[in-house]
Amino acid sequence: MTFETFLFVLAGGLVLGALYALMATGLAVVWTTLGIFNFAHGAFITFGAYLAWQVSQTEAGNAGYFAGAAAAVAGLFITGVIFHLALVRPFERKPNVVLLSVITTLAGATILENAIDLVWGPRSKQLAPMVPGDATFFGVTTSKNQILMIVLVLIILAAVGAFLRYSATGRAMRAVAQNREAAELMGLDVPKLYAGAFGLSAAIAGLAGLFVGSIHFMTPSMGTDPLMKALLVVIFGGVARFTSPIYAAFVVGLVEAFSTYYVGLYWTPAVLFGLMIVVLIVKPEGLFGKYERSV
Amino acid sequence: MRYDPPFRKSTGFIPALVALALLVVFPFVFTDTYSRHLMILVFIYAIVAASWDLSLGFGGLVNFAHVALFAVGMYTYGILAKTLGLDPWLAIPAGGLVAMAFAAAIALPILRLDGIYVILVTIAFSQLIYQIVISQSDVTGGTSGMVLLPPLKLAGHSFVLNHKIGYYYTALGIFVVSTACLYTIIRSRLGRAVIALRDNKYYAMARGVSEARTRLAALAASAFFAGVAGGFYGSYVRVASPDAFGLGFLTLILSILLVGGAGTLWGPIVGAFVITLLSEAIADYGPWRSIAIGAIIILILVFYPGGLWAAVQELREGVDMARTSMLARWRRNRGRAERERRLGTREQVISTPHGLIAYADSGGDKPPVLFIHGNSACKEAFQYQFAALRDDFRLIAFDLPGHGVSGNGEPETDYNVPAYAEVAEKVLETCGVKNPVVFGWSLGGYVALELSARAVVKVRGLAIAGTTPLNLVPDDFGAGYDASSHLILAGKQYFSPTEARAYAGSATAPYSATSAFMHRNLGRTDGRARVYMFSKLGVTDWPRQMRMLRDGTVPFAILNGSDDPFLNHSYIRGLHYGSIWTGAPFDIAGGKHAPFFNKPDEFNAAFRRFMREACGL
Amino acid sequence: MSTVPLLELQHLSGGYEPVQIFRDVDLVIAHGTSTGLFGPNGHGKTTLLRTVSGVIDPWSGNILFEGKQLNRPGERGRRRSRNLNYDVFTRRRMNPKNVARAGLIHVAQGNLLYRELTVRETLGIAPIAARGRGEPGDLTEKALRLFPRLSERMNQKVRFLSGGERQMLSVACGLIAAPRLLILDEPTLGLSPKLRRELADAIQAIKADGVPLIIVDQDVDFLKSLIETLYLFDHGRISGRIERADMPSHEEIMRMLFGEVHS
Repeated sequence: MTFETFLFVLAGGLVLGALYALMATGLAVVWTTLGIFNFAHGAFITFGAYLAWQVSQTEAGNAGYFAGAAAAVAGLFITGVIFHLALVRPFERKPNVVLLSVITTLAGATILENAIDLVWGPRSKQLAPMVPGDATFFGVTTSKNQILMIVLVLIILAAVGAFLRYSATGRAMRAVAQNREAAELMGLDVPKLYAGAFGLSAAIAGLAGLFVGSIHFMTPSMGTDPLMKALLVVIFGGVARFTSPIYAAFVVGLVEAFSTYYVGLYWTPAVLFGLMIVVLIVKPEGLFGKYERSV
Repeated sequence: MRYDPPFRKSTGFIPALVALALLVVFPFVFTDTYSRHLMILVFIYAIVAASWDLSLGFGGLVNFAHVALFAVGMYTYGILAKTLGLDPWLAIPAGGLVAMAFAAAIALPILRLDGIYVILVTIAFSQLIYQIVISQSDVTGGTSGMVLLPPLKLAGHSFVLNHKIGYYYTALGIFVVSTACLYTIIRSRLGRAVIALRDNKYYAMARGVSEARTRLAALAASAFFAGVAGGFYGSYVRVASPDAFGLGFLTLILSILLVGGAGTLWGPIVGAFVITLLSEAIADYGPWRSIAIGAIIILILVFYPGGLWAAVQELREGVDMARTSMLARWRRNRGRAERERRLGTREQVISTPHGLIAYADSGGDKPPVLFIHGNSACKEAFQYQFAALRDDFRLIAFDLPGHGVSGNGEPETDYNVPAYAEVAEKVLETCGVKNPVVFGWSLGGYVALELSARAVVKVRGLAIAGTTPLNLVPDDFGAGYDASSHLILAGKQYFSPTEARAYAGSATAPYSATSAFMHRNLGRTDGRARVYMFSKLGVTDWPRQMRMLRDGTVPFAILNGSDDPFLNHSYIRGLHYGSIWTGAPFDIAGGKHAPFFNKPDEFNAAFRRFMREACGL
Repeated sequence: MSTVPLLELQHLSGGYEPVQIFRDVDLVIAHGTSTGLFGPNGHGKTTLLRTVSGVIDPWSGNILFEGKQLNRPGERGRRRSRNLNYDVFTRRRMNPKNVARAGLIHVAQGNLLYRELTVRETLGIAPIAARGRGEPGDLTEKALRLFPRLSERMNQKVRFLSGGERQMLSVACGLIAAPRLLILDEPTLGLSPKLRRELADAIQAIKADGVPLIIVDQDVDFLKSLIETLYLFDHGRISGRIERADMPSHEEIMRMLFGEVHS
């Protein structure tokens, strides 16, 4: 393996890592706040991509792209709130909320995917790249689109992280996540915070969809793979800190890129899932986790 | 101890037999291959869902790799029967065994995990198996799967040719066997250990249940049936495709399980019928079909999370409630002469906050005695007392709510000891009785103790039979009674005929001409009264009853049958009473749980003596 | 002084579905007085207080705080089915947010607060309940003066605090919410005698500052120093009311509640 190939694989791994980080962060926001696992997250990503595609068709160039991004974020925030109210809220006070919400979000994902199929049809589509053309660093050529994407993802993640860490609402969201009853007794508006967290998570998924749609083809069932990857990343890294799934995402992205290069495309997922099971046996709270959430 | 009759003696036996008979004749009624095909799918899905329930519903261990184990069985069949040329009849159980081995491998990492982590690891595991399957395309056929698997054959006759009738009966056979096995497992030691770990993990472990071993056994057992179903499915559709790993199939089976009702054996089976037929009925609508199925799952879970089997249970309870309530209303007029002849007094009905109450009052200006009957009995249990004592005393007896010809009550509020005591107060108030002597039998004994302890009515004397005074509930319950299986029936909601005979026989007297009336009456009792009476034991202030007995201000007698099959006599003797008639519990020689019914003359003599002392006659 | 009591419970019943825990509780707390609740464990004190602060819905009865009704009036609807998800069909009858923002602050039993938040962040959340009532904003400083230990640990996460410090933080949060009435549910649960005294002094100071209290505790002698009226609570009912002047010793009360049965 030459140094150039190494850099090439590295760049590919970073792009994957950035995408996974965005997907996993969205998933982790719901997990840490509500203690449940949202299986509709993949469908959210799909929906975000299609919304962005639909809106960006009407406008030309970058304006279309921004309009699409805005539509994806706003549309998905609303979708997330609706999903929370319809699929999770009814079981909030039930002891088996985890299992029930797994099945309702799975059903919700089925509905959303098939609705997308009905509206946009099964034919695959693609979003135009944000910026056309390629750039060359150290002899490695990648598309400018991918570089921009990594930068944007990092900016978005930093913004979300800062929101959760420093804003009053973000702080309240974290508080609700850790002790619902104490938060209620302190006068926080728990239902609103829950819905907000779900909406935030869905909006992040919408942005992820926007990026996925600009580098892969879009189909109504395109969300399954990102969902599995996000799941993998979240387990891998744990959710103890906001940053743990992000580190894990880059680790997974790089492992994936290098294992594709070395052991081949077919074996890569098996390597990833096998690795994840090893992590879970040795360290169930995740590689970067500090404690196990008592769900 | 738990009451655990064999299936053939339970109330579910006849319905299950009828359902099985219907399934056996089904292919003769519906001769088209499509309806047979649908039923075969129903059986397969029912096996997968019901076996999943062993770990998911009963064990609370959400093993999302279960469907992958089904696929493992399918691929095992494909590889063994096609590639290696093994006999298909052997390849199907081999699928089960291989799935079991995989389950053991899955069990390893999740032995330490809980809650959502189990879901995540098992999903990862099923993805791992999936990835291995599609990456080994020379063995498994990769993404396109294995096709043209050998069909089942019997004596050289291929099942493909006979309009699916061979497959139908094979599927039915596997389904019946797996259901029977699951039924046995759930009621075995293993099943109880699984449930105990779900309900209170640390308590179960402290009682010696091994978490790791139990989880492993439960996962392996449920995997075996999934693998067998997968193997059979492979032989039936003759394709092993990686679609079985997908979220779509997982959602289908999970929805069967949850719509049917998790944590029950029959729920997933009912769910398999409903969901499979429903999803076939709307198969032609493309994406709309998936949307409709998704919406149905969500609606059922949001509004009725117990699922269909819970609805069946509620329906049954509703029917039983309507039956007992109608029976009471009907008997209030029909058998009245008979009842008035037994007690020799007019029966009256009053309305109380706990429903309509029937009572009998022999009247007169004599020392009053209130009789309170026991669980699933009626006021006519005291017919010999009414016959023998009416000249000297004013006798009052009433039917508790949900018993005799009193109306049914509201289970939450009316079927507990304090509520019964309130009813007794209301009856006394209606009769204008101020200081009665109260005699309580069994459950009625607790009502009598409670009535006296409440001190709303000033009780002049208190006598109990077949009742153990309790201090700490429920601990003393175990100490005060000998837990025979008949006693455990006291809290059972529905009785099969055998159970009714057993309970009435040991609570009052074996069936005879004299006890026939009591036996007949048992069937009228609202089953919820038995269940709620036990589950609401905690609302009674038991220490207050004990304090009252220790104070010893109320003349108090215990008149137990010496042969009472339920009581722990030494516990009763060991309690500290402030004052007790004759200085110790008085035993009626040869009396059973209802000494006043079994040995009326001896009882009446003793009771008369107690009355004389209590009332200072 | 107005004649409207500070807190009034009228025929309050409640519990956890479908089990009723307490019934027909009547309680009046006048302005400026502190009240104690005493009774055996597992008899519904905490459930009662959780109902008052709106964490669970009351089944029937009224909760009036400064004359304002906190719960939507009416009886709990009858539940005919054991399996219907009544959480979807019934509207919540109380909102804990509104209770807290009205100034009725409940410091829960064994409050674990927010494991992963720092002390500073936790104290930053506490004033939300006081907002909109125009209360003075310098309460955080006051609370820190009362619990100087906390100011040493401002940047530590709550999960690194000791049990006593966590309890202090809970009480401090209650104080910062500018309570019109402060409910302390077993504040000294599981603390060492030394910490207990320290916390008791702080509670004394809060009371001296004019904040009325409702305190649950297992030690009558500790309650005696803080309250004007003691209610005995067992089997889900108030079984007795004792004024400070004729408050008996711990042993006597135990006898009143348990008789000789448990001795």
